[in-house]
Amino acid sequence: MRRLFGKLGTLESRFYLIFTLLFFTTILTMQIISTRFTITSVRNATLENNRLLVNELVNQIDNYIESMERISRAVIGDKNAQAFLLSPLPESEDGEILQDRFASYIRARDDISAIVLFRHDGIAVSGDGTDSTGFSDYRNSDWYRNALKAGGETVASTAYVQNLVPGNYSWVVSLSTQILNPEDNSPLGILLVDLKFNRIKELCESLIIGEKGYDFIIDPAGNYVFHPSLQLVYSNLKHEPIDALLPLMENDQHLYRIEGRNYLSARSERTGWHVISVSFDSDLVTRWPYVQLINALIGLVLFLIVGLVTNFISKGITRPLRQLQKVMKSVETGEFKTAGHLDATDEIRELAREYDIMVGRIGELMDENVREQELKRKSDLKALQAQINPHFLYNTLDSIIWMGEMNKSDEVVKMTSALSRLFRISISKGHELIPLKDELEHVRSYLTIQEMRYKNKFRYLIDIPEELLACTVLKITLQPLVENALYHGIRSVDYEGLIEIGGYNEDEDIILTVRDNGEGMDVETLSAMIDGISEIKDEDNRDRQQGTGVRNVHERIRLYFGDEYGLSYESIKGRGTLISIRIPHERSLIP
Amino acid sequence: MKYLILFIGSLAVALMIFLVLTFSLEPGKTDELELEKPIVVIVKATVAGQPMNFWSVVQQGINEASKEFGVEVIITGPDHERQINRQVNIINRIIEEDPPLIILAASDYYLLAESVGVAEEKGIPVITMDSGVNSPYPVSFIATNNVEAGVKAGIEMDRLLELENNWSIAIVSHIRETATAIEREAGVRQALENRNIAGTWYCENDQKIAYENTMEILKDPSIRGIAALNEIVTLGVAEAIRDTGSSNRVIVVGFDNAPEELAFLEEGVIDATVVQRPYNMGYMSVKTAVEYLKGEKVEPVIDTGSVLITAENMFQREYQELLFPVNDE
Repeated sequence: MRRLFGKLGTLESRFYLIFTLLFFTTILTMQIISTRFTITSVRNATLENNRLLVNELVNQIDNYIESMERISRAVIGDKNAQAFLLSPLPESEDGEILQDRFASYIRARDDISAIVLFRHDGIAVSGDGTDSTGFSDYRNSDWYRNALKAGGETVASTAYVQNLVPGNYSWVVSLSTQILNPEDNSPLGILLVDLKFNRIKELCESLIIGEKGYDFIIDPAGNYVFHPSLQLVYSNLKHEPIDALLPLMENDQHLYRIEGRNYLSARSERTGWHVISVSFDSDLVTRWPYVQLINALIGLVLFLIVGLVTNFISKGITRPLRQLQKVMKSVETGEFKTAGHLDATDEIRELAREYDIMVGRIGELMDENVREQELKRKSDLKALQAQINPHFLYNTLDSIIWMGEMNKSDEVVKMTSALSRLFRISISKGHELIPLKDELEHVRSYLTIQEMRYKNKFRYLIDIPEELLACTVLKITLQPLVENALYHGIRSVDYEGLIEIGGYNEDEDIILTVRDNGEGMDVETLSAMIDGISEIKDEDNRDRQQGTGVRNVHERIRLYFGDEYGLSYESIKGRGTLISIRIPHERSLIP
Repeated sequence: MKYLILFIGSLAVALMIFLVLTFSLEPGKTDELELEKPIVVIVKATVAGQPMNFWSVVQQGINEASKEFGVEVIITGPDHERQINRQVNIINRIIEEDPPLIILAASDYYLLAESVGVAEEKGIPVITMDSGVNSPYPVSFIATNNVEAGVKAGIEMDRLLELENNWSIAIVSHIRETATAIEREAGVRQALENRNIAGTWYCENDQKIAYENTMEILKDPSIRGIAALNEIVTLGVAEAIRDTGSSNRVIVVGFDNAPEELAFLEEGVIDATVVQRPYNMGYMSVKTAVEYLKGEKVEPVIDTGSVLITAENMFQREYQELLFPVNDE
């Protein structure tokens, strides 16, 4: 698991993760939008279709009611009916003719339950032959009162149980029309046509949308004309949003949606009823799960493709980086490989090039470093060689022995103690840098010994300003020069030699000088000594050794303090030599 | 390898999210109950056997709910309410078929209890309707509160008898051991506890016997009120009253709403009838069954209510569907 998360830290997996999330979100958003769009458009299309169906249903109801109204008008316009209504006491002949006619209507139209013509005085004629006395009290019925209110218009009732004849209950919709005297508009009577409710119920049930859809009808006041489960509505087990629907319908809004149900309404002009068709969203798009599945699959395929492409792209970006990384890893092992040409973007190629340059530079620096280390090692070795000059040692010891034999004990003591000081300072606890005072002590010890060995051959003079004594110098720098002056300059002359050691400040540096009045050197020997090639040219062992001592000092100073320091010579053949040492004025170098 | 795992993993997650999100976007999403087998309703009497208006209306309610909640429902039962053993046989056979739920209108309070126990053992939930059984297992009981209905009848009887305190009242019941009969009688007696109850007559749910019982009751001149506890009894009593012309002498309060009963009510032979809501009962029993099967909490007792109908209110709009069911002709 940790390895997996560790993997997420790589550029490649970051790329992959970020791109994948980005595309995933995009695809998902598109899916959601397109799904919503599909839902809306399918629903709207279905609802539009349903609206047509509801309008068709209303047309059918209107046509049906209209056909019934035609019957009413036919009856009202009938001569016999006029006679029946207008005569103070109707003749039974008119009644019988009317009754026959009503009966034939009822026979012809099996959806008519009853046709009754009531005279104002209560005398009535009915299609089924019930006479005036057979009716229950109808004057309080809605159909009767509404007909009186409506003047001469035909009014349609809601669906209800007609109990015109006691013990006889039938569900009807009543059409009632008040008949007025054409001459003075005085009321003559009322015609009642009862339509069997089943006909309207059948019409409503013929339009059912989906498995659960149903229709219901309300009158303009919001009373139910028809509802397939009115009992549930009256006992509050079912609720229709009539309160919300009525104001909408008055404003000609025909769609109301609530809780996944769609209420589509249409108004019947003939009756004033609102026919409302209820459909359920769950029924509208029945193949919905398939649509969703396909949507999901499309999304998945897109995601798959994007995933593969992203993988490819991110690999393409990171592959040269990985190559570069592999090359860089070679540094760890000390193997400085270069990247060379990479098949990659400009930035990475640039990076590789810079890297190559850097590696090249590091290689050079390392080589140089190695060379310098080598030199330093050699110079250390040479310093060591300089300390122990076996000729000098055994010559000195010979002198001591000789002086011992001669019983010159004072001189033995003097020489031995000088030798002892010489060695103590040249060891100097292994320090390379020592105070100038010590270095002078060293060279003084050396000169003391040499002076005793070469009696009256030379004398020496050390003249260094007091303030320079605390400065640090590389140890054993003066002694090889003095030795050189002694052996190279003074030894072969026949006059008394003089070795002067001096020093002074020059800018930030200290200049120490060793001057002799010996035979001097020609330009060739001089430059050979400076360039350090006398080692190869000079076959003479001693010369070589002496030359080596001076060159060693020069190289060691340069290694320690830099190329601008070191030795310089001035020499005149037959007059002497001046060697100057330039070192930095750095007290702090003393450890 | 690790990339492969990462890749396949993210694909799987994507698939899940796509599916969940798209499916949760379903328009008008309904969490409809999916059943392998239909719910079985065992009624007391099927319409085919006996023209008992009550059960045909119960069936309409059942069908309405079945359509609304999208569940299949099978309605079965004996031909006649008296066929108790037949109903026991039917429920035992139904239990063998392992339906998801049984809705039972028990013909007998005691004799069906054992079968309900068997159903419980087999893990078939039972909902009782109209009449309960002597068993703790049914998860819900959907019925008219018959005691309350009896009280309504008794109060109306008391009101109509006014101050005539020394007159007595007879009760004609349909079956001795049926819960509806027991509870309605208790309700009537409770409301009339200050009145003189002459006794209870049983008629084996037979209209003829009810008629004969009434003829016998009418011989007692002190009887001025008869409470008839169901539709068949009410019809038997009403015929006897009509035939003897004693409607002015005797107050009759009946139950239920057969068309003949309503005619008697309009004529004045019967003075009032307590009407249950069989449509709601059928509807609620299926609704409750669906809720229970969905794992929702259901009420242990659901009262579907009753209405006192008199000649005055029988044509009110809100009672018309209740009293005069619309029949498909």
